[in-house]
Amino acid sequence: MNNWRKKIVAVLLGVVLLTASCVKEPPSRFDQAQQDSSSRGTSAVVKESETGGSFNRYFPSAGSGYERVYTQEKKGFAQAKLKKDGKSVATMAISDTANNPTARSKFQNSQGNIGGYPLINQGSKSTAILVADRFQVKISSSDTTFTESDRKQWLSKFDLRGLSKLN
Amino acid sequence: MSKPIFELVDNLPKKNITTMMLNSLDFAVPGQWQNLVGFENTIRHVTGESDQEMIQQIGDRAVWLFNDKSQGYQKALWLYQTVDNADNALGTAALANKVGDKIPLLGGILSKVTPNPDKAQTLDLCIKLVVELVAFCQINGIPGDSINDFVGALGDYGGESLMRMAALIAIDGLIPLGPDFIQKAQSSLGNMSPKELESNATFKGVKDLIPGKNSRGQLEFIGTSFESVKSWMINFINERNLTQGKVFERVKGFVDVSEDKLDYVAAFLDMTTNYYEHTGTQTLAVRLIERAYAEI
Repeated sequence: MNNWRKKIVAVLLGVVLLTASCVKEPPSRFDQAQQDSSSRGTSAVVKESETGGSFNRYFPSAGSGYERVYTQEKKGFAQAKLKKDGKSVATMAISDTANNPTARSKFQNSQGNIGGYPLINQGSKSTAILVADRFQVKISSSDTTFTESDRKQWLSKFDLRGLSKLN
Repeated sequence: MSKPIFELVDNLPKKNITTMMLNSLDFAVPGQWQNLVGFENTIRHVTGESDQEMIQQIGDRAVWLFNDKSQGYQKALWLYQTVDNADNALGTAALANKVGDKIPLLGGILSKVTPNPDKAQTLDLCIKLVVELVAFCQINGIPGDSINDFVGALGDYGGESLMRMAALIAIDGLIPLGPDFIQKAQSSLGNMSPKELESNATFKGVKDLIPGKNSRGQLEFIGTSFESVKSWMINFINERNLTQGKVFERVKGFVDVSEDKLDYVAAFLDMTTNYYEHTGTQTLAVRLIERAYAEI
């Protein structure tokens, strides 16, 4: 009987140890990106990228009850919030797709244009255009009152011609 | 190399002393902070998108941005992590002693807590404020010592960032130092020598990222930053009619302690919470996701 108990304890102990040795973070759907972006010599932002500061002047000005608040300015990227009555209704951004060339491919299915630049709706809350085949101008609604037609209207308020000359 | 950003956000605690403390401060910034944890969950919350392919693209890009050291996100995270000096063992022991929903601050736990002298406490407060400024600049990309831009942006703070500032004022200011904590901090900074600054443990941890040529320059930077943010803090307190008594009432909702032990409560919360790291990780995740969402 004693022997039998010892065997059971040994087996249980083995199971516990085996389980413990296998416990680690479960695989994540972002593991591949983690691995790719951690290897030597990789970067999320390339040297040739325009600075974020150079984009600021092409954003539309505040007005007609809207307030514009710049929020991020990093190499290749600038972002501002659009606020109405103190509440954020949308975010506007210009990014240099030199840093993320795959962002360009969606414009092959463009559904129209603004100022001759291809336009696309992305997901349920964003509308974007691609200027000079390089600079992505995107507006995302953060409030349901800010509709697709508002996004298109505000996209057309950017100085797109000026931005295209940055290229 | 930092841990992956998705792991850090996935591993944020759902409930511990830090979240209990932050929840107790909801009265000061109503509805601003929900304990948003989980990377995918944060993507959904920030963007309002549920399409799986989009979530994948946003998450992937956020991972890339975080791992590019030139982008400053890892420095910001390091600052938020380093300025907190939580003692995990004490926190776990305190939680294990919980009676109902309250942690009794007596006996063995109380004997492990040593209140900070006023001078060290004021310096902690000032350094945390400067860490917020530097981390803000690292995350949002304005030059590292741009005090004015930061002060302007404070007016637009919301969500977990505003909660972090509320906790700074309430838990690191009002509770240990009382209603005149701002004057106390200013006078203690004014009388401080660079040598004293150098010997402060909180400063030692983060000094490499505090602007200034040497400790004298860094002391000046801390002083100038505090001076610039002073009126924002005074307004914050006045608009909300915040007092030491009101904050203490809320803290007593989860810590069982007597009225005359304010300095022990302050030291206990200092040792068992990491609200800068917790909400700082949340801020970082939100900014990364916002940028990734715009860039994909």
